[in-house]
Amino acid sequence: MKKITSFLVALSLYGLLFYVVYTNALEKDLDFTVYNEYYKVIFNGWVTTIMISAVSLVLALIVGLILYLMNESKFKVLNYLSEIHKTIIFGTPLIVIAMIAYFYIGHAFHVKSKFWVGVLTLAFYIGAYIADIYKGAIESIHTNQWQTARMFGFTKYQTYRYVVFPQVITSILPPLAGQFAMTIKSSALLAYMGTSEFLNSMQIVQSVSFRYPEGFLIIAVGYLILTIPLILLVRFLEKKLNYKVSHEFEN
Amino acid sequence: MNLKIDKLTKKYSGKVVLDNISLDLKEVQVLALIGASGSGKSTLLRLLSGLESFDSGKIIVNGHDVDSKSDEAYRKKIGFVFQDHNLFPHLSVLENIMLVLEKVHGMKREEALPDVLRVLEQFGLNEHSDKKPHQISGGQGQRASIVRALSIHPELVLLDEPTSSLDPILTHEVLNAVKLLAEDQKDFVIVTHEIGFAKEVADYIVFMDEGGIVEHGTKEMLSNPQSDKLKAFLNKVLTFVNEL
Repeated sequence: MKKITSFLVALSLYGLLFYVVYTNALEKDLDFTVYNEYYKVIFNGWVTTIMISAVSLVLALIVGLILYLMNESKFKVLNYLSEIHKTIIFGTPLIVIAMIAYFYIGHAFHVKSKFWVGVLTLAFYIGAYIADIYKGAIESIHTNQWQTARMFGFTKYQTYRYVVFPQVITSILPPLAGQFAMTIKSSALLAYMGTSEFLNSMQIVQSVSFRYPEGFLIIAVGYLILTIPLILLVRFLEKKLNYKVSHEFEN
Repeated sequence: MNLKIDKLTKKYSGKVVLDNISLDLKEVQVLALIGASGSGKSTLLRLLSGLESFDSGKIIVNGHDVDSKSDEAYRKKIGFVFQDHNLFPHLSVLENIMLVLEKVHGMKREEALPDVLRVLEQFGLNEHSDKKPHQISGGQGQRASIVRALSIHPELVLLDEPTSSLDPILTHEVLNAVKLLAEDQKDFVIVTHEIGFAKEVADYIVFMDEGGIVEHGTKEMLSNPQSDKLKAFLNKVLTFVNEL
């Protein structure tokens, strides 16, 4: 009960901040009626955002795995290729990469679909971060386990398949759920490519309705509907995993 | 077992840990490697397993020339018990054993299971077979590790200080399990600090110090040590036991 009361008080305080902004910065009352007329455009944009994020994440999981394997390969060229890609991604804002991908890379490879240029850009961007998630999780497997597997005659594939992967999957789930939330938010930048995702659709409606504050509120709520469950999922998984780890440690 | 070690040298980052050692043993069932920490006994055991490569020399186990680079088939015939039980933490005791039998040795579950359950019972683990490693004690984990090593019907079992991380009660429990191996006429090599135990079960003992073999012989060697190093080592161990 105390927990719920504290949460409601915190929520009210946060609401108060918005009330101050609302009463001081807005010239007229909020009116959402005009957005009802465009609900189909808005909804389609929202669904496109979900699709872009989901497809990008699936591809990013594969890109991340390829980058990780390249990093671990005995061929130095592959190590450096992976490192160069990750360094560029980690050091460049997504919007810059999105612009370059849209105007030049997509053009060079004859990819005309804005959807696919957007999806591939996100996949290569998020994939670099996922490669490091894989690396961290796999390195957390104790050397004793690799040694034991080798001693009992497991092949490298069998070691990954039956020893490493089942343990890694639980530890990468929380950061992956976090990455999914990040992908959803990052997909907003694809609006600058003209991809008809949620932000771009909303901006179009804002420009014809001139109801900007209402539009921004809808945009924020639209993203929060998608990201809050993921944030809660991350917290739940972390709690569950931390419990498991500490429990194993105690024993 | 027949074991021939010829001029074996092993270095770690340039530091010599086994220095040109040689040994020739025939028809030994239980071989105990004793010595202070850092004497090279665990390294020697790992080289015998084919888990690590060596810099020069030769190891021949039961006529087989051990070479870590291409020895998966040899390792499949060796049962290894590590200092810590090294059970895979995501699998139950039973699945730790079955995974090796099914995936590495290609056995069918229904074929392998009765034998595994019998050995688990022999080692007092049948009640714990469905538990994960973190749910059992260190002694039970180490016994499960012995069962896992035995389940593949190894030609030779290698035990690397299986009681080093256990308290005295659990040590006693695990040593009793190792005695079962001796009673079952299994060939094994054990690295141990338990001199009394080595004396009781081993039919041949090798004493190592600073990467070399100082003295070796039958268990009587411990009652009548020849070298100063072995005398000093046994004195230290006895003083420690008396203090306890």
